[in-house]
Amino acid sequence: MLNADGEASVTKGHVVRVLSRRTVLRRIIQGLGLTLALGPAVPVVQARERAAQSDETDRLITRVARPLDAETPVEEFVAYLTPNSRFFLRSHFSPPPLEQLSDENWRLRVAGLVEQPLTFTRQDLKQFEAITITAVVQCSGNGRASYRPKVPGVQWEQGAVGNARWTGVRLVDVLKKSGLQTNGRHVQFQGADHPGAGTVPPFVRSIPIEKALHHDTILAYEMNGRPLPLLHGGPLRVITPGWMANSCIKWLTDITVRYDEAQGYYMQTAYRYPTRPVTPGETIAASDLKPVELMVVKSLIAQPRESASLKSGPVMIQGVAWTGEGTIVMVEVSLDEGRTWEPARMIGEDLPYAWRQWQYIWQATSGQKTIFSRATDDRGITQPETSPWGPSGFLWNGWDRVRVMVAE
Amino acid sequence: MRSVLSVTAIGLPGLALLLLYGQTGAAPDERAGMAARAEGVVIARCGSCHSTDLITQQRLNRSQWQGTVGKMVQWGAELSEEEAVLLVEFLATRFHQTAPASVTLNEIGAAEPLQAEPLVIQERPSGISQEGAGVFANNCQGCHGSGARGGFGPKLAGNPILNSERFWQTLLYGRGGMPAWEHTLSRQEIANILAWLKTL
Ligand code: HEC
Ligand code: HEC
Repeated sequence: MLNADGEASVTKGHVVRVLSRRTVLRRIIQGLGLTLALGPAVPVVQARERAAQSDETDRLITRVARPLDAETPVEEFVAYLTPNSRFFLRSHFSPPPLEQLSDENWRLRVAGLVEQPLTFTRQDLKQFEAITITAVVQCSGNGRASYRPKVPGVQWEQGAVGNARWTGVRLVDVLKKSGLQTNGRHVQFQGADHPGAGTVPPFVRSIPIEKALHHDTILAYEMNGRPLPLLHGGPLRVITPGWMANSCIKWLTDITVRYDEAQGYYMQTAYRYPTRPVTPGETIAASDLKPVELMVVKSLIAQPRESASLKSGPVMIQGVAWTGEGTIVMVEVSLDEGRTWEPARMIGEDLPYAWRQWQYIWQATSGQKTIFSRATDDRGITQPETSPWGPSGFLWNGWDRVRVMVAE
Repeated sequence: MRSVLSVTAIGLPGLALLLLYGQTGAAPDERAGMAARAEGVVIARCGSCHSTDLITQQRLNRSQWQGTVGKMVQWGAELSEEEAVLLVEFLATRFHQTAPASVTLNEIGAAEPLQAEPLVIQERPSGISQEGAGVFANNCQGCHGSGARGGFGPKLAGNPILNSERFWQTLLYGRGGMPAWEHTLSRQEIANILAWLKTL
């Protein structure tokens, strides 16, 4: 089911209006290819409805056409909130069939080590208090393309991250309704998206009970004040503020309280990183690998852009910075390859889990110049020059770097 | 008949061995035709679950490709034993660590012969500055200017990058207009250049 036409039309690494409504539709139909061939027949007209329902997704840089992985151009990050249509997309498999997600058919099931297994409709979730949290959601592999030697996986540059307002209900409220048994230690999530072939492992992951019961961990049904778009996991996705997005399961349908961690490839093998320095090619014992959870301190330069031509005189450098569950206390800029650093001015809102905006006025003189940025968080941890190498390339947070040309 | 390699039949360790020791054993002129065949295998066998752009964006060494192809076979990619060996050979040659950013499946075309790429070794020998001057003059001066004072490439004399691992990363794997030297200069020659640059 190869659609050569669709793939040929994707210009990798180029910012184009990649996903017009029609392209989204074509992608989704392509993504459905396998389902159409192997599974229950899904009429094309449904795919069309699905595309119409999803927000228009524009100006993203496509990394993988099917299933869709696309990142936000960094210059979008001059805005505090990343618009839904410009928010990065990461899909392990194609989105689930639309009919499974309709109000009539979609259900959230809570089972496992609970007093009483329960099933919720979308309407049922309204009984819980709604809360809104502004939080960064970032793919664990964001920045993978910066690792040397290179490692396998989607070659994300800087833009597999965004900051949005997520509205939903607290996971702890839903769990309490079912009643937790005392031996529950991990909470497992599964979404309605399934691999096209039975030989491919399903995307099942779990988080430790402490994070699950934290009052800021939510099941979100709104993104930036709008119903959660299909491609972002609508109708319901997990948001674990401060943690990498591998636990932010989309199209959530099943919550299972367990004694042990979730089993299977996506929990036991993938999304793990070495807890000690490793050299490329070396064999790493399973006991030296730990699940990717907290985000690491990081800043990005949104303006000026790579290879920009500037005039000498004052130039506004601006960007964003964030860390795991803490806050950013300082962002610094270097214009001499990291020899000396000048503090940037912190601006805008300072909320836990969200990113912080910063700016720096630079008196640019002519020549080819490199701008570096690095952030420091309230634990005193500063963004390193390069991140420790690992075989899967998670958690990149090396200094951000932009080269510009300044004219006389 | 094509023998479909299934994990249940030979097991993953079996596949790993096969991929490690399988030899294509072909003369250089036969290899060009094999590249064209391998492109066909990628399109036919690797595009059903995800688009092939996920493959062509990777820049991996042989053992990383062996691991990836082995995982795909375990997950259901249908490859005969011979196709698996061919594919690793092809991918490790065309989509290796220092291949240009924009290689597509058949852009370079079937004319490019397959050849093995050595594993990446993290080796940072100490350099001899007297021997670095000549290597610099022959390879770097054209872009970085005499006395490394800058030209098309940035000034290197007194550049703080000389005290950073980024020097090695930039030299070995290249960056922007800066070529990759991994396969052109030995680690010792690079170390000699570094030692010489530090004396400026
Ligand atoms: C049966 C389905 C299937 C087939 C056929 C398949 N793949 Fe994959 N491949 C996957 C899945 C699933 C992933 C992981 C996707 C994710 O997690 O986002 C993947 C990921 C990858 C990656 C990214 C690195 C990684 O380990 O995640 C590469 C490279 C890759 N495949 C190469 C290939 C090659 C080469 C072939 C042909 C030999 C192939 N694939 C055939 C299912 C398949
Ligand atoms: C074809 C021209 C060219 C040649 C030949 C070349 N370089 Fe470069 N080099 C560049 C360019 C252009 C850059 C800037 C790269 C960028 O855009 O980041 C650079 C960057 C560098 C840097 C990083 C400087 C910094 O401040 O980040 C180092 C170190 C370096 N080159 C060393 C060398 C050495 C040593 C050699 C010889 C083995 C060499 N280069 C040969 C063009 C060249």
